[in-house]
Amino acid sequence: MKKLIESIVAKPVKPGMVGDGFRVFNYIPRGGITQRRISPFLMLDFNAAFDFGPSDHIRGVDVHPHKGFETVTIAYQGSVAHYDSAGSSGVINPGDVQWMTAGNGILHKEFHEESFSKKGGLFEMVQLWVNLPKKDKSVAPHYQALTAENMGKLVLDNNQGQVNIIAGGTAGVNGPASTYTPINLFDIQLNSGGTFTTSIPSTHNTALLIVNGHIEVNGAEAAEHSFVLFKNEGDEISIQANTKSVILLLSGEPINEPIASYGPFVMNTDAEIREAIIDFNMGKFGYLE
Amino acid sequence: MQAFENYLKHHTPITGEQFTVLKQELKEKNYPKGRILLHEGESTNVSYFVCKGLLRAYTLDNQGKEHTIQFAPENWWLGDRNSFYFKEPAAFNIDVLEDSEVVIVSKNFLDSAMELCPDFGKYNVYLLHNSIRYMQRRINQLLAASAEERYLDFIRLYPKLTLRISQIMIASYLGITPESLSRVRKELARRNSYL
Repeated sequence: MKKLIESIVAKPVKPGMVGDGFRVFNYIPRGGITQRRISPFLMLDFNAAFDFGPSDHIRGVDVHPHKGFETVTIAYQGSVAHYDSAGSSGVINPGDVQWMTAGNGILHKEFHEESFSKKGGLFEMVQLWVNLPKKDKSVAPHYQALTAENMGKLVLDNNQGQVNIIAGGTAGVNGPASTYTPINLFDIQLNSGGTFTTSIPSTHNTALLIVNGHIEVNGAEAAEHSFVLFKNEGDEISIQANTKSVILLLSGEPINEPIASYGPFVMNTDAEIREAIIDFNMGKFGYLE
Repeated sequence: MQAFENYLKHHTPITGEQFTVLKQELKEKNYPKGRILLHEGESTNVSYFVCKGLLRAYTLDNQGKEHTIQFAPENWWLGDRNSFYFKEPAAFNIDVLEDSEVVIVSKNFLDSAMELCPDFGKYNVYLLHNSIRYMQRRINQLLAASAEERYLDFIRLYPKLTLRISQIMIASYLGITPESLSRVRKELARRNSYL
């Protein structure tokens, strides 16, 4: 049975700035799409394609903490350099995904990669926050640097397009990301007229972000930059691209635990949030210049 | 306004009817980040209660460097007593650090509230003593405490502000350079980090 659509939400009217390097439209949490409704996803910010222009000043977000969840950065266009208090650093290039498990707490910063910043050009990214179940909130922080060439690749017949599987799987192709709860994250790239059909369990909270293009999904039209939220009924999703399109599919088994959050900390209780703030202030997440 | 009413009802026995009468002496305002509400040397007859957001009182020295006197996040009061009580030019600047919802409190409000609800007067005296106590502690720290002791006291008083304001601004409150603040945080991380 086809998955029923709960709502199709248009792009928010105004973008917000995260630091001075990310000009984002916020889709989660927003209106009826609460963190509980779309669990395990906590936040989705979309930097729709935007050219900041060449700049010697490197744009980005300076040092900030995270604890209790994972940040997933999906690069469509442009490059981001990141550094953290565990001593790791790297560059996320188009097609790459950085899956950071903040777990017990880490400091990091993200900037436009220097040569990209100086040259300018279109910058297009998604940042998704994925909750961790209570039992895994205190794991040691770590990264999965998932590169474009390591994504699970499902090439569609007749030049219809390609699906890059970041996490989870479909049609026998699996993504490289290791997740704490069942999650599917697909970067669906369709040529005009291309179709893609997949099956996602009805228990998963499921949504699509139309990154580019214009599609029909399960009989409804979804315009560029709209967000399609499915009901937890039915399992089949059938997408037809009316123009060349890029779609992000996200689905996950909900984590049925209380959510307490303050800024960059997501725990289960207010007492844990207070403790997280003290830990951060006392230097427990390390130090980053 | 609801946040202010809740605050008063939590700390004093003020009734809904009394608050309705007193409300006439209050104004609600939303201010955007960056707005300056008071300049040093001006006169003012109002104080602020912060329902949401963050205000700051600060001075500028001869070199144009900022020195932060006080931050006022949610449920804090901020005003310039020099001007508000003593009708002298304001000693501080007050600016808005985050988009804020504030209640503007007049002298008439305080006088009427004390008349209508004597326990409000007692609470106001408590607030005054509490503020003097913290100010004395702050004077002692600025004279005698190490940078680390000042920072530790700051995070006890304002635990969430480290997530909301820049290191430069925290340093301007502690009376140390941003470099010293970095050294303090680096040293705390060296001792406490679990990474």
